[in-house]
Amino acid sequence: MKFNKELIDDLADKLLIGLTDEENKLILSEFNVIDETMELITKIPNISEVEPMTHTLDNFTYTPREDEYEESIPIEDALSNCDSYEGREIKVPKVVGGE
Amino acid sequence: MIKTIEELHEMLKNGEVTSDELVKDSLKKAHNVQDKCNAFVTILDDAHGSEVTDDILSGIPYGIKDNYSTKGILSTGSSNTLKDYVPFFTATAVSNLEKHNVVPIGKTAMDEFGMGGTGTTAHTGNILNPWDTKRMAGGSSSGSAASVAAGVYPFALGSDTGDSIRKPAAFCGIVGYKPTYGMISRYGLFPFASSLDHCGCLTRSVKDAAIVVDAMKGIDKNDLTSWDSSDIHLYDSLDGKVKGKKLFYIKEIVNLENYPDASLELKEHLNNFYHTLDYLKEEGVEVDEVSIDKNLINTIFSVYECLSCAEATSNMSNLTGIIFGPRGEGKNINEMMKDHRTKGFSSLIKRRFVIGSYILQKENQERYFVNAQRVRRLIVDKMNELFKTYDGLIMPVSTGPAPYIDGSKDEITKDNTTNLEEHLQIGNFGGFPSITIPNGFVNDLPVGINITGKCYDDANVLNIAFALECKMPYKNQVAPQFKEGENA
Repeated sequence: MKFNKELIDDLADKLLIGLTDEENKLILSEFNVIDETMELITKIPNISEVEPMTHTLDNFTYTPREDEYEESIPIEDALSNCDSYEGREIKVPKVVGGE
Repeated sequence: MIKTIEELHEMLKNGEVTSDELVKDSLKKAHNVQDKCNAFVTILDDAHGSEVTDDILSGIPYGIKDNYSTKGILSTGSSNTLKDYVPFFTATAVSNLEKHNVVPIGKTAMDEFGMGGTGTTAHTGNILNPWDTKRMAGGSSSGSAASVAAGVYPFALGSDTGDSIRKPAAFCGIVGYKPTYGMISRYGLFPFASSLDHCGCLTRSVKDAAIVVDAMKGIDKNDLTSWDSSDIHLYDSLDGKVKGKKLFYIKEIVNLENYPDASLELKEHLNNFYHTLDYLKEEGVEVDEVSIDKNLINTIFSVYECLSCAEATSNMSNLTGIIFGPRGEGKNINEMMKDHRTKGFSSLIKRRFVIGSYILQKENQERYFVNAQRVRRLIVDKMNELFKTYDGLIMPVSTGPAPYIDGSKDEITKDNTTNLEEHLQIGNFGGFPSITIPNGFVNDLPVGINITGKCYDDANVLNIAFALECKMPYKNQVAPQFKEGENA
């Protein structure tokens, strides 16, 4: 079987998300539906020759802005939604040197 | 309050009502709708009237979907991961509106981060349909649709990645409009799937939708996909003259023969669709049945799921609870982030993320992600080819009125009515302007019809919708139980 519980749990873990057994089971059934329809896509003649469409409009004009100095956001604003900080810095458990 | 923007402006100008009175009335109704439909995350009880000028929007109350950033006002995206998040800046679409002296009344509840179509995944609970509170409001702009349909105010902001403005509008018997991609800046809108996300509005008339989007739109240095629309004046363009216009509908989706086991509701809905086309024909609009390769039509749903899940997985990787959002518990930073994300996300969007992650794994990208992008181009090219001949695509919205909440699931399943449920996603693939208007009732509940046109042709699309709206008696309708006591 192409999709199984272990694969789903591994993918969720990579995203730092934990799943219940029920959630895992639902994802399995949804994968099978998507995969089935993707078969239809691969059967469209010469599909590999079509240029992928990455964005809605192809005619954006990108003009570089003037290189002007702008104020960055005040540090107080940047920290206003952070649950744990000290002074100007976000506080987290020690990252280097063990748990 | 159950008036159009034009009518309210007239009343404000001639002193029949003050902006303060409108705001108070709106707040009172917001609480009533909150009690009955759970439509809000936040009601701004300290809101007060604003100065009334010659600007048609001045002094008028409105609602903002909770995925628009609003400075100093709680903006949760209806997610536990942002349950206390208060932005320090305002989305461009909202700040553009603020220049018109409008008054925000509340932040409306929605499917978490826009990733759902039922209104059943908000962290504040199910959002109910004001026409029948046992039924869903549709999603993801559920609270915006419910509050406008209940007459709280004439308009609310929505966002639309697959059909999130246009389907709840149909289920709630109102108008939902998403303009051409990039006409309204997305800066400050919580991103779901950036290549498909659109800002827009929910109103009770086409004219109101034109007025509101005229005020929301404009090029923005903070959104490189926005473009200069200063020569487009939607409100001024509405003249209802549609003689000689040409529309088409897709046989493979609309024709009843595609649904041998059709329910009575579906039959009635499709018959009502054909009946509505007669109104347009009376106005001199030609409506043709067009056939499109069924194999291509059948891929719409999966193309959407692949692209939206993949883009969402990437966009929402910043939701860690470290820099903002409630801190998770754990011995190290990874455990803390995992705890935050596991507890914070609803079951539905966890599933979407896992699918997105699978699609983006290097070994799967070609089969899923890149192929979905290729088919997206084929579908958009086909539409653009048809738009050379036609002014727009006209289609029924969904399979009928709003489904019951009990027993409904926001799961990826497929049956033979999937194409009827999902075809509005074509509008997001191509960034096409697209509007839903109410076109009658099935089982005493409202149903909608949608018109989608080519990019930048918003004025034409709205004008056709306006002409059709004028032929039907559903303009500015409000759910019956919310009409009681109405005297404004």
